[in-house]
Amino acid sequence: MKKRELIREASSFRDPSGFVFYSGNTIYRQVNTSYKNDYLHFKNSGLCKKLVDEKLLIPFREVSNFKSADSEAFAVLKTETIPFISYPYEWCFEQLKDAALCTLRIQRVCLEHNMSLKDASAFNIQFLAGKPIMIDILSFERYKEGLPWVAYLQFCQQFLSPLLLMAKVDSRLGMVSGIFLDGVPLDLTSRLLPKSSYLNFSTLAHIHMHAHNQKKYGKSSSSVRLKSKALTKNMFLGIIDNLENLIRNTKYSNGQTEWGEYSNMMNYTQAAFENKKKIVKSYLVRQQPKSVWDLGANTGEFSRIAAGLGIFTISFDFDHAAVNTNYLQIKKDGETNILPLLMDVANPTADLGWAHEERKSLQKRGPSDLVMALALTHHLCISRNLTFRLIASYFQKIGKSLIIEFVPKSDSKVRTLLRNRKDIFPWYNQKTFESESSKYFRILKRDPIGNNSLRIVYLMERKK
Amino acid sequence: MLAIILLLLIYFFVFAQPTYAYLDPGTGSYITQLMIGFVAGGLYLLKVYWRKIAAVVKRLFRKPKKTDEKKRTNKRS
Repeated sequence: MKKRELIREASSFRDPSGFVFYSGNTIYRQVNTSYKNDYLHFKNSGLCKKLVDEKLLIPFREVSNFKSADSEAFAVLKTETIPFISYPYEWCFEQLKDAALCTLRIQRVCLEHNMSLKDASAFNIQFLAGKPIMIDILSFERYKEGLPWVAYLQFCQQFLSPLLLMAKVDSRLGMVSGIFLDGVPLDLTSRLLPKSSYLNFSTLAHIHMHAHNQKKYGKSSSSVRLKSKALTKNMFLGIIDNLENLIRNTKYSNGQTEWGEYSNMMNYTQAAFENKKKIVKSYLVRQQPKSVWDLGANTGEFSRIAAGLGIFTISFDFDHAAVNTNYLQIKKDGETNILPLLMDVANPTADLGWAHEERKSLQKRGPSDLVMALALTHHLCISRNLTFRLIASYFQKIGKSLIIEFVPKSDSKVRTLLRNRKDIFPWYNQKTFESESSKYFRILKRDPIGNNSLRIVYLMERKK
Repeated sequence: MLAIILLLLIYFFVFAQPTYAYLDPGTGSYITQLMIGFVAGGLYLLKVYWRKIAAVVKRLFRKPKKTDEKKRTNKRS
């Protein structure tokens, strides 16, 4: 193998069993000698094969003769590439729920093979071809009956807490995971959940009692003697079963939000809408991007045009109900190349974690080949006070080309936005839009969507 | 189930003095697992045995279906 620069993943420092590194676009995982016995059991017990066969674990292969600079290396693994790394605070309720159930299913299969998950981090789950999959191959350890599940607290904080908060309090509380990267503290969840949650055995036990016990046993300095083999395998399975039932029965119910039913809210004719679709499709065919970021995608109507052309597409929207509906549609139809994510374009995901390097900003995970911003610019300008120049300057950083729609002031949507505020946007017109955008992009095409609508769709390519 | 919830609530509010003490940040979590394990483990056992019993009863009272007949005849041929 040729000698290339190896870059270690900044977030891969917690686990002494190994780490992730990159060589070009290829992802590798080093297995350290200290993890050798667990790794061999994982491979030889049939667990690895079963998890990969059930599409619960990312497929990988061992690389022989890898010139690793690290003397700790026992093996080097090459894993399948995930097209876009997303984070739990960017997932909607149903995505986090499926990721939680995936983790519990893995734990069940592990126990069948006398292994257990030593790590139940939500960051270890990614979405590949529309489904959650575990990407950390070093999260497994040999199970000794009697010992507790070491990742139980982590599971409750990273999955159960945000799920219950979203279902029982408000779906926007899912974003709290972006503040508490190690998981939402149980005492906080316990305080925020309604009092009625004390009447549900599972919530009472996994959240309220768990939070109470943590506080109670976390203060004294004297030691505890716990009987060995206290937690039998049956008790262990009972806990997993109970968590599974609780999560399965936790439903998203935040009612209908502003954008829940996009298609019913269109303010232009069906003919104009169909024409807009045709224009967008022709631009996509012309550009042939490998990846599309659809900003303000709502339930993914236009993302599906790109996905239908075989392009990996991410549907970003800040409305939880819209992202949830989009994900449920993907599940129902078995769509494999759309990833819906929660994102406020005016406040996109920032660099988070240790030294701002653990979890990457949206920009650092780009650029995408093409950015779509349909029926979005007027919201950014009029609701967020952003100028055309600021918008073009940011889009140039995250996309190599751009499909963007200009919605004029005469459009009823813009009139609605201006209804209760002073019009401080004298510059909001097509001429300024084009001249400001031209500072960052070359306008390749422009097409009015017609049929009594004055909206115009543009295809642009960023200037070098 | 209501009785279990009631017992847990009593534990929760009445026994405020610690009976165990700190080992590591996971101690509270371990003790919680032990407490839930007794109830959840019991329910899990019941579930597993109930499924087994239900399967036996189902097999005993099931009438042979036409498809089963077909399979048998196929096997013979």
